[in-house]
Amino acid sequence: MMWLELAFIQRALIACILSGLLTGLIGVFVARMRLSAIGYAMSHGAFAGASLGVAISVNPLLTALFFSATTALLIGPVADKARMPADLVTSIAFPLNMALAFIFLTLSPYVGLSSEVASVLWGSVVSMTNEDLLCLTILFTASLVLIQLFWKELFAIMFDRKMAEADGINTKPFLYFIIFLIGLVITFALKLVGGILIFALLFNPASSALQFLHDMRKIIMVSPILGAFSCLSGLIVSIFLDLPVGSCIVLISTFIFAISVLFSPKRRRKEVKP
Amino acid sequence: MEEEEGKTKVKNKALEEDLAIFLEDVSTIYEGERRPAIKGVSISIRRKELVYIVGPNASGKTTLLETINGLLPLYKGRVFVLGLNVRTYGNEVRREIGYVPQDFMFDPGEPYKALDVVLMGRYGKIGILRRPKEEDLRKAMETLRLMGIDDQANKPVGKLSGGQQQKVMIARALAKEPKILLMDEPFSNLDPDSRERIPELIGRLHEERGLTTVIVTHDVHRISRLCRRVIVMGGGRIVADEGPENALTLLDTSRPHILGGVWHHDVA
Ligand SMILES: Nc1ncnc2c1ncn2[C@@H]1O[C@H](COP(=O)(O)OP(=O)(O)OP(=O)(O)O)[C@@H](O)[C@H]1O
Ligand SMILES: [Mg+2]
Repeated sequence: MMWLELAFIQRALIACILSGLLTGLIGVFVARMRLSAIGYAMSHGAFAGASLGVAISVNPLLTALFFSATTALLIGPVADKARMPADLVTSIAFPLNMALAFIFLTLSPYVGLSSEVASVLWGSVVSMTNEDLLCLTILFTASLVLIQLFWKELFAIMFDRKMAEADGINTKPFLYFIIFLIGLVITFALKLVGGILIFALLFNPASSALQFLHDMRKIIMVSPILGAFSCLSGLIVSIFLDLPVGSCIVLISTFIFAISVLFSPKRRRKEVKP
Repeated sequence: MEEEEGKTKVKNKALEEDLAIFLEDVSTIYEGERRPAIKGVSISIRRKELVYIVGPNASGKTTLLETINGLLPLYKGRVFVLGLNVRTYGNEVRREIGYVPQDFMFDPGEPYKALDVVLMGRYGKIGILRRPKEEDLRKAMETLRLMGIDDQANKPVGKLSGGQQQKVMIARALAKEPKILLMDEPFSNLDPDSRERIPELIGRLHEERGLTTVIVTHDVHRISRLCRRVIVMGGGRIVADEGPENALTLLDTSRPHILGGVWHHDVA
């Protein structure tokens, strides 16, 4: 297969696997720690940030990280204290970030849909550089090590934050650590999937794993695998059908989610014979 | 142990030796509310005491328990547990308290086994960067056995019955081998048999281990015969702090008047 030998395709394949593993891993925390609202807002914040980076010719990684961190700082405390419903916060943050992103993209110095703009919007295969791969690798390794070190505490917090607190675990630092990790993962996976759809990758693999598994230890292993599988097959489909890679990845991960709902033992109804 | 106020040093030393729980003029407010849920509450509970707390719905029983273990941080007044200020030593204090929350609900798809839930009770105590050991596992299994549900240890906790789930939460609190036990209507879902057996077991642990025990209940006719003290709450205040006979008489004769509300149910 000729196409496999192209350097940019090889980079894209590795990037896909790493991004899928990372988003699948972090997604479990997003789902169990009720961070969907904040993750959602942060991913669109990162989208606006990356757009700004393209517009002012600054490395979009930096601006994306800055924007998603700012979003977390702004809405984190609000969502945490439950003074305002999370869906209200996101319904305001989503259009705001989109509006900003579109303005920045219009201001971008390139003519039309340059590859850089396209990458920020819906992801791109050609955009992955060796530095990106290095960043993804470091991030993945660091996440694995830290999660392994603090697994006991994270396991308890994912069960119930209040009960973890009642047993004398200081939950706040872990919450901030996970939110910080979400920001980093979104930022580094954004180039591949694009800013509009990145959240689906944080959400779908973990939700699928939670559908058909009953044990946290298995869920944390299977979710990254589902993420990597979605990304890899999405990439291949996008290469052959010449479709945006982000869209293909999201379609496949949604399909996996649908299957897991259909076959979920948690929803299976047994016929009771009279 | 450091003291944040020099002048209370001697007093706190005394508190540590004799008192398990010490509240002085405490009012707790919930985030975003205007009026405190408990007002001007003062209680001293000595080590090794067994105390029941009774009172109608919304009288502040749960709020009182969660003020004691520091889960509700917005309070005025002084709260000391085992001689430590809960505001500064919250996590240290909570590692010594077994807390059974009221009506803790598990989602049917909860991805945790019953044994996990019980073992997690010990996590704070085990400490950060340390792994649970063989002994932790043994303690967890042992308390599950005490509750009579050790055969359910490896089932997803959400698939257990309501009463079994309640037993898991009691096991969780006991597994951490606490110095203080705070239980919020811990027997509400149990069958008549368990309702005899488990309180008796708690009573025995209380006697054998000198466990300071505070139990919130609506089931006033089943207060343990080991109990010497009943605290009656009404409208966020302590309305009586008596021996069980007196407290029960008080409840029987003048409850609407004193409690300012209707006593909604008596479980016979
Ligand atoms: N999370 C909360 N936010 C705001 N107010 C609350 C909250 N929880 C309880 N309250 C209020 O605090 C008061 C005391 O409630 P609490 O739960 O302590 O009562 P309780 O004695 O435990 O009642 P029950 O017998 O029903 O369990 C009530 O007026 C209640 O409305
Ligand atoms: Mg209550």
